[in-house]
Amino acid sequence: MNQLSPVLEIRGVSKRFDATQALDHVSLTLYPGQVHALLGENGAGKSTLIKIMTGIHQPDQGAILLNGRSIQVTNSSQAQLHGIAAIYQEPMIFPDLNVAENIFISHRGRGAVVNWRKMYHDASDILGKLGVHLEVRSQARGLTLAAQQTVEIAKALSLKTRVLIMDEPTASLSVHEVTQLFNLVRTLRNQGVAILFISHRLEEIFEIADHITILRDGKLISSKPVSEVTTETAIRDMVGRDMESFFVKDESRRDDLILSVQGLARSGVFSGITFDIHHGEVLGFAGLVGSGRTDVALALFGISPADEGKIIYDGQPVTIHSPAQATHLGIAYVPEDRREYGLVMPMSIAANITLPMLRRYLTRLGIVKRRAEETTAEEYRQRFSIRASNVRLVTSKLSGGNQQKVVLSKWLNTKPRLLILDEPTRGIDVSAKAEVHHIINELAKEGLGILLISSDLPEVLAMSDRVLVMREGRQMGIFTRQEATQETVMTAAMGQKITVGGI
Amino acid sequence: MLQNRDWRWLLRWESLLAVILVAVIAANIQMSSHYLGTDNFVNLFQLSIEKIIMALIMTFIIINGEIDLSVASVMGLSACLFGRLYDQDIPAEMAVVIALVVGTVCGTFNGFWIAYAGLPSLAVTLASSIMFRGVARILLEDRSVGLFPQWFNNLGQPDLIGPLSFGIILFVVLFGICLIVLQLTAFGRYVYIIGNNKGAARYSGIKVRQTKLTLFILSGLVASLCGLLLAARLGTVRANAAEEFELDIITMVLLGGVSIFGGTGTLVGVGLSILVVLNLRNGMSLAHYSGNIQTSVVGALLIASVLLPNLMRDTRRLRQWRDFRFRPRETDLEEEEGTWQAVG
Amino acid sequence: MQKVRQLIRPEQIRELSLLLIIILIVIFFGSQIENYYSARTFQRISSSVMIIMVVAVGETMVVLTRNIDLSVSSMVGFTAYLAGQQVSQNDNLSPAVVVLLAVSFGALLGLINGLLVAYGKIPAIVVTLGTLAIYRGALVEYGHSKNILVRDLPDWLVNLPRETLFSVGELDIRLLAGLAFIIVIIFQMVLLFLPYGRRLYAIGSSPDAARIAGLPARRIVLLAYVLCGALSGLGGFIYLSRIGTVGTTAAQGLHMQVIAAVVVGGVNIFGGSGTMIGMMLGAILMGILEQSLIRMQINEFWKDAIFGMFILLAVASDALMMNRLRDLWARGAIQMRIAQDAAVQKE
Repeated sequence: MNQLSPVLEIRGVSKRFDATQALDHVSLTLYPGQVHALLGENGAGKSTLIKIMTGIHQPDQGAILLNGRSIQVTNSSQAQLHGIAAIYQEPMIFPDLNVAENIFISHRGRGAVVNWRKMYHDASDILGKLGVHLEVRSQARGLTLAAQQTVEIAKALSLKTRVLIMDEPTASLSVHEVTQLFNLVRTLRNQGVAILFISHRLEEIFEIADHITILRDGKLISSKPVSEVTTETAIRDMVGRDMESFFVKDESRRDDLILSVQGLARSGVFSGITFDIHHGEVLGFAGLVGSGRTDVALALFGISPADEGKIIYDGQPVTIHSPAQATHLGIAYVPEDRREYGLVMPMSIAANITLPMLRRYLTRLGIVKRRAEETTAEEYRQRFSIRASNVRLVTSKLSGGNQQKVVLSKWLNTKPRLLILDEPTRGIDVSAKAEVHHIINELAKEGLGILLISSDLPEVLAMSDRVLVMREGRQMGIFTRQEATQETVMTAAMGQKITVGGI
Repeated sequence: MLQNRDWRWLLRWESLLAVILVAVIAANIQMSSHYLGTDNFVNLFQLSIEKIIMALIMTFIIINGEIDLSVASVMGLSACLFGRLYDQDIPAEMAVVIALVVGTVCGTFNGFWIAYAGLPSLAVTLASSIMFRGVARILLEDRSVGLFPQWFNNLGQPDLIGPLSFGIILFVVLFGICLIVLQLTAFGRYVYIIGNNKGAARYSGIKVRQTKLTLFILSGLVASLCGLLLAARLGTVRANAAEEFELDIITMVLLGGVSIFGGTGTLVGVGLSILVVLNLRNGMSLAHYSGNIQTSVVGALLIASVLLPNLMRDTRRLRQWRDFRFRPRETDLEEEEGTWQAVG
Repeated sequence: MQKVRQLIRPEQIRELSLLLIIILIVIFFGSQIENYYSARTFQRISSSVMIIMVVAVGETMVVLTRNIDLSVSSMVGFTAYLAGQQVSQNDNLSPAVVVLLAVSFGALLGLINGLLVAYGKIPAIVVTLGTLAIYRGALVEYGHSKNILVRDLPDWLVNLPRETLFSVGELDIRLLAGLAFIIVIIFQMVLLFLPYGRRLYAIGSSPDAARIAGLPARRIVLLAYVLCGALSGLGGFIYLSRIGTVGTTAAQGLHMQVIAAVVVGGVNIFGGSGTMIGMMLGAILMGILEQSLIRMQINEFWKDAIFGMFILLAVASDALMMNRLRDLWARGAIQMRIAQDAAVQKE
């Protein structure tokens, strides 16, 4: 493969923001027909590098060479002209347009008049080449996340893309969908496209990548063929030190029940959910994205209440109809989407932490007691070593992992007895992930019941006392720690035996 | 001290407003010897008293991430309803109460559609402004009604208490209350938080719908109160009473540094911008510019109040891009979400 | 079912139901008003909606991009006044020059709006609320509160509204109404078949995606505003010829009716969906209501209250029903795909 000449070369690119050197003489070479993985913790400079490649930022130093010739990329349409395209974790589609239009919207030179028939035909053609069945006339609004990504890949392909950047494309996909995506990536690779692939999941990287480049603190640490990299060396290069590869939760389950759910259902979403959680127990919720795990959590937290079944909390039957009531009962929910539901980004750490319990911080006249607020926040900052100089800092300036710790603090401050964690480590880097795992362990030891929803299978297996598996809104079974393996859980989640890999 | 994310910026915006205010006042003093008189000072507030009272409530609504384009129509409706009822020999006291109740109902109507049906406030209040104005037209058609009782008219006139009118005193009291509620209490913080991130607010157990409904009910009540003040001040009402008042009201709020997208801004800023707009209009009146020119200037001010910060940000970015020794503002770094560790 | 679902989307159901409402309303008024089904009724309605229709074509394009233009009434008023003033001071101006003058002056005003929105990055509501006042204020200052009178206008202009394009039986299709209809059709074609039209939908559908996809969003939005201004200019010209007497308060409040037509016609106030045909149905519905209420001798002051209610109902039904329909359609699509996946897996 290396006999081929490189399609895109980044040579000694540097970029500085304020006091931070985001990129420091980073070089990267992409060859046609190669999947090049880019690894690094959040803040390592990956996003800056992508933004430079797609023209959103300009480098302070260094050059970008396309087929050996130096180019300037100043905006995304220019990047497109050069054959560089990027696909993000959240697909950038046009929900009101149909599939075919989404593929061709940024095409130039398809005539002055839209030829619908030809467009549908060409779109089916491209999707066919990718081996995907998608109705080209249906509106993009109704597509699943995975299908939307497929549309984006088809769009990139139709634009004669030579360099495709995939920024955490698998973060919100189910296992099955990841398999399909990887088949697509292999198809593209075989067609000679150079792919820059970014993911936080190492096992995926080892499955798909040909070459691995690791960044740390804006510097290039290593760049080797995948055969010369192991999980251990990769993690060491990323965090700059050796790390235990798997953290396993300590035994802390007590005998007394905290929550018992019987036949919980919400019509059209999920049904027949029955489980118990004890004090000090972590109950894992596994299943594909869209299998209804989050919906069960939302029902328990009163966002979208269940319409059938019993919830027995602390020995008392309850109906939960609002988050305020759930909080009052001692149930806390750390949502999957920090940005959308977890944090008020432009407000301070302190204001975020006290938010659900603000009434505890009021004087008799209803005025907010800032000093008391900051004292509380300061406790959490020290307890979870949130990296911020003080608690008056706005949360938008924190890294993903530290933001997640703020959300955790916010909910722990409600003094919950049942903590629901929805994808608590999604999109945060390796070391922050380990910290979150430690926190979960500590909390369970303190006697909290924890419901852990996660798509990261190794995480669920390592952290849970028992694992409940869901599929299409139904409960497929509960596995004890001994019974739960990658195999059994996956089989239950898929509802059938599947073979992973292969085209 | 302020419930705000970027108060340093606001402080700057507010100091900018203060500088503008001083400049406008200086120009006014230069231009006319009448400017500094007590009469003119009272007059300055009197002429726009309904608008500035309304701007206080509008500040809450815009920070909450919504907008109420129907306030002028509610004012008109309430004034016309009062006129019509009084014209039909219903006692003025009774008519005042009915008008206030109907105004509150109008606000509840808006609030219901926005908070509980989840419709965009822009569309709802645009539609209801046409509707409420329509009802006002049905009530008075093309007549004008006046000759209200003396006590009622007195409420609109200066020299009620010292040189001040009822409206001015009401404004000062309301400003104090709103300042405390918005900047210091839990309710105020909820208003900011809902404006910033409705999802996070809901998931934190904040009653988003009730908060929004409360604000729109208040808006309806205060608007109808302002409509009555207008009737008292003018001594006569027509169906087009208070027409296009929303322009000035929204200008005062946005010029005060409140973002049209919600979540930012303070009442201190709005207080300053109210003074700027009032003095500007007063100065133009003293210089004998027509009302239409004044309205055009207010319209330009509205656009400038958003354009200016935009331009400031752009030039800053440009300079930062050319010379990275220049220290960028925090907002520039916010784009790098998740990439930056917080450093003191 | 699959074919039906592709052919008839929620948006089309929306338009069909609007058509149904129009028919029902016509039948209702037909039973209430004597001699309702006549050429005169048609004439009245068509001439009352044509201005709204022309201006609403421009408004629709702006709204599709997730923006709004409140200043159309001031633009119509200003261009009507300016064109009237020029034509009354200068008798031998040819019709083409007058139209060109109105259209290009409107386009200029639209350009100002567009520059502020697209390049000044100011929310459309702020810009156009401001220019609504600025343009009106400028007009009052420019016109010194003097009116343009019918007797100052040349005959061709005064007679223009009575020019008939062709007649079907008793029905005379007036030139101006025909023109308005043709403009609606032309711009419907633009939306359907020109890349520019599709990009209007794309930008309104997802501004972020548009930026990432490298669409020239600013230029597209700017052009939408310029076209909206130009069409408002044309609307101003029609206003001048139809009303004749034009003062500085001309067309005040017209923007409400225009937005009413657009919203009732099913153009999503958040951009991304809607058609010119739907907008035209919306305008016609409002026109029928207005004219029929007058015929029923219901107090004309009721008009605004009913208009407001209709806009609100349209917005409410869109938000509550359309989302449900769309979900239904989307769910259908997903089920279809699951079935296909299963079929593929079996192979």
